[in-house]
Amino acid sequence: MTNTMTQPKTRSNTDENVVTVHALVKRYKKGAEALKGLDLDIKKGDLYGLVGPDGAGKTTALRILAGVMEPTSGDTKILGKRPSEARSLIGYVPQNCALYPELSVEENLLYQAGLHGVNFEDIEKLKETHLEKMGLLRFQDRLASKLSGGMKQKLALCCALVGKPKLILLDEPTTGLDPIARRELWQALSTLSHEGVTAIIATPFLDEAERCNRIALMYEGKIQLEGPPRDLQEALGMRRLTFQIKTQEKLNEAPAIVQELSLDSVKDIYPFGDRLEVLSSEKEDAEGQIRQQLNDAGLELSEGRESTPTLENVFVIKLKELESEKAATTVEFPHWKNQSSKSGPEPGVAALKARNLVKTFDDFRAVDDVSLEIKYGEIFGLLGANGAGKTTTIKMLCGLAKPTDGEVELVGEKTDLRKVSVRKDIGYMSQKFSLYDDLTVRENLNFYAGIYEIPLKLRKQQIEWVIKACNLQSIENSIVKSLPLGWKQRIAFGAAVMHDPKIIFLDEPTAGVDPLARRQLWTLIRDFAANGAAILVTTHYLDEAEFCNRLAFMADSRVIASGTPSEIKADHKGKLFEVNPRDTQNAFRTLSEALDHWRVAIFGSSLHVLLDDENDSERVKSILSSAGEKPELRSIDFTLEDAFIDVVQRSHRANDGKDRMQMQTSGDEPVSQKSQGGDS
Amino acid sequence: MFNTFLVQTVKELKEFRRDRLSVALAFLLPLFSLLLLGFGIRLESKSIPVVVRDSDNTSLSREYIARLYATNMFVPADADPKESLTRAIDRGEAKVAVEIPKGFTGKVFTGSVSPFKVYIDGTDISNVQVLTNSIEAANLYFLSVLHQTRQPDAQLSPVVPETRLWFNPGREERLFIVPGAFAIVLWMYPALLAAVAASREKEQGTMIRVYASNPNPLSFLLGKAAPYFMISLVMAIMVMTVGAIIFNVFPVGDPTPLIVSTPLYVLVSVLFGLMLGTYAGSQTTAVQATSSIGFFPCLLLSGFVYPISNIPFPLNLFAIVVPGKYFIELTRDAFVRGTGWSAVWYVPVVLILFCIVELGLSCMALRRMQEKD
Repeated sequence: MTNTMTQPKTRSNTDENVVTVHALVKRYKKGAEALKGLDLDIKKGDLYGLVGPDGAGKTTALRILAGVMEPTSGDTKILGKRPSEARSLIGYVPQNCALYPELSVEENLLYQAGLHGVNFEDIEKLKETHLEKMGLLRFQDRLASKLSGGMKQKLALCCALVGKPKLILLDEPTTGLDPIARRELWQALSTLSHEGVTAIIATPFLDEAERCNRIALMYEGKIQLEGPPRDLQEALGMRRLTFQIKTQEKLNEAPAIVQELSLDSVKDIYPFGDRLEVLSSEKEDAEGQIRQQLNDAGLELSEGRESTPTLENVFVIKLKELESEKAATTVEFPHWKNQSSKSGPEPGVAALKARNLVKTFDDFRAVDDVSLEIKYGEIFGLLGANGAGKTTTIKMLCGLAKPTDGEVELVGEKTDLRKVSVRKDIGYMSQKFSLYDDLTVRENLNFYAGIYEIPLKLRKQQIEWVIKACNLQSIENSIVKSLPLGWKQRIAFGAAVMHDPKIIFLDEPTAGVDPLARRQLWTLIRDFAANGAAILVTTHYLDEAEFCNRLAFMADSRVIASGTPSEIKADHKGKLFEVNPRDTQNAFRTLSEALDHWRVAIFGSSLHVLLDDENDSERVKSILSSAGEKPELRSIDFTLEDAFIDVVQRSHRANDGKDRMQMQTSGDEPVSQKSQGGDS
Repeated sequence: MFNTFLVQTVKELKEFRRDRLSVALAFLLPLFSLLLLGFGIRLESKSIPVVVRDSDNTSLSREYIARLYATNMFVPADADPKESLTRAIDRGEAKVAVEIPKGFTGKVFTGSVSPFKVYIDGTDISNVQVLTNSIEAANLYFLSVLHQTRQPDAQLSPVVPETRLWFNPGREERLFIVPGAFAIVLWMYPALLAAVAASREKEQGTMIRVYASNPNPLSFLLGKAAPYFMISLVMAIMVMTVGAIIFNVFPVGDPTPLIVSTPLYVLVSVLFGLMLGTYAGSQTTAVQATSSIGFFPCLLLSGFVYPISNIPFPLNLFAIVVPGKYFIELTRDAFVRGTGWSAVWYVPVVLILFCIVELGLSCMALRRMQEKD
């Protein structure tokens, strides 16, 4: 394509600031202060992550930078100009993509080209380059409303690039995307940054922020931490100790057991679905002592691990400093049902069994031979890309859709899954939270208490519990509409579990919520599981899947892998290696041409390479040295994301042609990881 | 600048074509409304149920009653005249009750005052005047006939006011209503179309991107207005053609005032919708604003149904800023009176003024191409 792509990055020796922001303040008319003195220095070619929870001021900051909002005070310069005068140098992608649903891919692009004053003669060329690059060329006649989430984001990015901007601003581009679409988008961004385009990406997800070369952690309108991700991780001066716990039943007690030691070096203890993670400023002593303590308490451990803290660790530690442990209290849930009559669920007994579920729509198999079993007290994660069949499966499991074939057993009921007694044992929280925007928090809870027929005497008590457990005291009389997403999510969770259900279905409960809010929600979820409820969670955030006791991956309507998170990660034929090249883009292109393109992925400035066995690493080394890079490979652990993408790719290759056809007819993008520079 | 205008126009036309609501707003609903207004609004009363008690019961009194019915305005009600007359009105069986007293004939012939009672149902305010007039008209008619046939030599010569209706000799209501309906329909739908189109950008969140790409506000607005202006012109031709065929209403006299003013009026309407759309935050607000700020004043204050002179001060001052008022004056001239430019020269001038004001206000809203706080 263009020759700008082959330019090596020359970031280190340019002092040219693309964005300079000093003491930026934004106060809205209604009084809310979104930014309280923001400072930013962003250099040419930076892939800059603006990371923070909801309401941190990310969107406001981007809007001011894009010149579509006036700041209250402070100084903002983009390439030396005021933002409103620099608009022609900026490409801006708002949170919802801002595409015209009634226009086709091509028409959307042409419209933006026209607005940016691109000559008509250049438009054909533009179309070719941008749509081709993003793999959208063959969908150019499809209406934007018919695109999948990932394709929408790519089209939105194309539209932002059409005016040849020096700076692109993306507002939470990956919210709602599945891992494959996310990876493709980040690779596109990475390519752009290597071409010299500066990019600022706002995101609430810390795992993906590691792919930026600089990040700023935003909280309450200010930047709390700033720097390259690795520097921030190292500056924390801590190690992440992982204790793999075999005795799952006692996992919930583990944090308290470690707490008892009251080690000064331990800063954070956090349980995952099958392991405990401890953040400690010191390694040897702490590890030994904790291991001893856990063993004494009767927890069986397999080998432990030690690694660098993640960005999430960094952020959580910082937030804890700022929030001074505000959400530490847990409140006992008043289980009115179990006390009264029915025998409580026993851990280990299956709450939900599904055998050979099939659902066909016309001649499309949305769900194909899915079998699941979820026990009381277990958190089960159902993962999959968009269109993999998760939602249809969950609908059949809770009786909202009738399976074409197969059998579902829900709390012992096989025939009528919609009967009142069964429904009362089910809690369901949908992605959209189904709260009434114009009612207050308390009114919403009152309404749901009525819907679930909680006895009048107990209503007050249950509502009080939700308000306490979900930390809603300060906002109980606020109108829901005005609250940030993280709050809404907790209210919705409270509303879904207020009637003390035995099985809780959570459909993407954390889409777009920040890490601290997610932790709080997961603490609640774990409390419920500990009290004996069976919990089914769907998500496409793979870091979150680590919280589950067991997982099932769905792709192309089937379950293609299942087990505990550690089992899934361990159950890979391949080996994962990290490469830290000098010229990431060049190394990426060379490697993806030499190997299968799906084996190589960009993570920030490093590459992840998936190899079938150790011996292939020699080949990679020789490829690297021929490309002028140091032939160094470091073996690393699979993340769930790597595992997921690997499993999905293998499944696709196993039955290639047929599945691709299906994916396309179901309105989804093909999962090919188009290498951006592959055809030059 | 011209580029922005052009891409905007092309984009809007494509969106319009794919949006069924907009297509319906442009072509189906205007026709429906025209038919509704054309057939639905009837100001003159016909077939008014009347109950008559004839206590005189002479040939003359019976002839009077026959004359009453002969006006074609009254029909005998089902009520029993032996019962109380007011009860018939109470029950809604009759709108009018007439009692002819004993000695009616004698008084008529002696030329003295011959009182008889008429009760009129006052709940239907709009009909009272019509009914009173009708009874009076029947009286006069009766007397004149009496005069000519029975007593050509009598001194009695009741004054018979003779009114001639100019321009609409048959007193056909369609000539009054249909030209007005053109103004109403062509005010409502172009404005709605433009309001929906302008507010949709905000609702689907695309407006912020338009801001970010920094187009000139005026060319952006004109680019948005142009396609709806064209669509509305088609709508105007369609509505007027259908109106002509169904209601038999054709332009009379010089057609140039109509040809010049209709596009201007439609443009005023489109720009009005665009203005509300740019100020409104959501599509619902825009549509509601267009109906309440646009439609009702046009219906009530334009002289479409009620003469503006009947509207009390200071409400009648509002009529000055209702573009429909001017256009109705024009259409009534073009379709009924046919005087031409000398009577309506001011209409295009006023419409152009409206355009300028609306465009100015819309540009104000977009002048910085930025989000509001």
